[in-house]
Amino acid sequence: MATNGSVPTVTIRIQRFNPDADKKPYLQAFQVKAPPGKTILDALHEIKEEQDGSLTFRRSCRHAICGSCAMNVNGRHMLVCDAPLREHVDRHGVLTLRPLAYLPIIKDLVVDRTSFWEQYQRVKPWLIPPENIPEKEFRMSAEEVAALRDAEHCIMCGACYSSCQVIALTKQYIGPHALLKAFLRVLDPRDSAPAERLADLDRGDGVYRCHTIFNCIDACPKGLNPTEAIETLRKLVIKRGAFEAARAERQRRLDQPIEVVGEAPALSGGE
Amino acid sequence: MYRSTGFIAFVLRRLTGVALVIYLLLHMWVIGGINSGAETFNDRMEFLGKPFFRLLEIGLLAAVVYHGVDGIRLLIGHYFQVTEYRRGLFYAVIVVSGILVIAGGVPILLFALEG
Repeated sequence: MATNGSVPTVTIRIQRFNPDADKKPYLQAFQVKAPPGKTILDALHEIKEEQDGSLTFRRSCRHAICGSCAMNVNGRHMLVCDAPLREHVDRHGVLTLRPLAYLPIIKDLVVDRTSFWEQYQRVKPWLIPPENIPEKEFRMSAEEVAALRDAEHCIMCGACYSSCQVIALTKQYIGPHALLKAFLRVLDPRDSAPAERLADLDRGDGVYRCHTIFNCIDACPKGLNPTEAIETLRKLVIKRGAFEAARAERQRRLDQPIEVVGEAPALSGGE
Repeated sequence: MYRSTGFIAFVLRRLTGVALVIYLLLHMWVIGGINSGAETFNDRMEFLGKPFFRLLEIGLLAAVVYHGVDGIRLLIGHYFQVTEYRRGLFYAVIVVSGILVIAGGVPILLFALEG
């Protein structure tokens, strides 16, 4: 990092690609100041406003919850709105920004997520409620909620999807994001069609296409574990008949109070 | 390209898998020589008895050992919740494979050098 007064200046190399003008992507270097607390997204804004207005990237909430700004920083996927600039420059004071891997580039850092959303639709990501919906509320035990905690925190940023080498090989694979969502719905006591969902996953391009590379865990900015969810789904796929029967039994008492034995387990932690 | 220990393991597993299929074809070609008579079989065995092929057997051993040990790592991953230790497991596979390949490779090497 070169210092200019007290505030150091860092070099950000950004992968640029304009489909109308460029044959293939190239890296372009920009110099920005790096005061403490400045995020990579702040730097991108600065470059766009002051140095090159044609720089294109996605962002929305700036609070690490919308998932729009997932990008590749020095080879690792992360949400750039949540990533302090100074922490991510390498020892040469350089930071390299690329779009999410294995997806078609629309322009600069913006990728085409069509296949991502198509696969997501495949798992029917909505809840299929039982016929006898309780008048007041669904009652779930703390353990049942805790089991879903991991999957519930997914923000659909696409980091796991675009770090998966199976996705690099075939876009037919359903993908870790969709399988994590399937896990969320299958294990939800309120869902009434777990066997149907599991049957849809029991295919060559479903749960069995995962090669257990663990990249989805490495890439997830929320610290979730899609691989473990896939392993759980693999086991449930085999015994889906018994699982559905247990679910039907469970749903008979969805409106009844849960018997709490001892204290409810804490739901925090993990991040 | 998203690099990680899991990615390296995946690539090595695929490469060794393809190598083993190629070896299997070669193996069938040699054993199948017996159909054309003892002479053909002996010719093919003699061809593969050259020092180069004997040294290549160390590579075959490495491919078999890595592919097998990595398979055990995957089985552990399927049956137990060990995603937290994913990097350690990969390094363990490399160490165990390395020890086995050295233990088996040295005798093969000595045998090849004896000619």
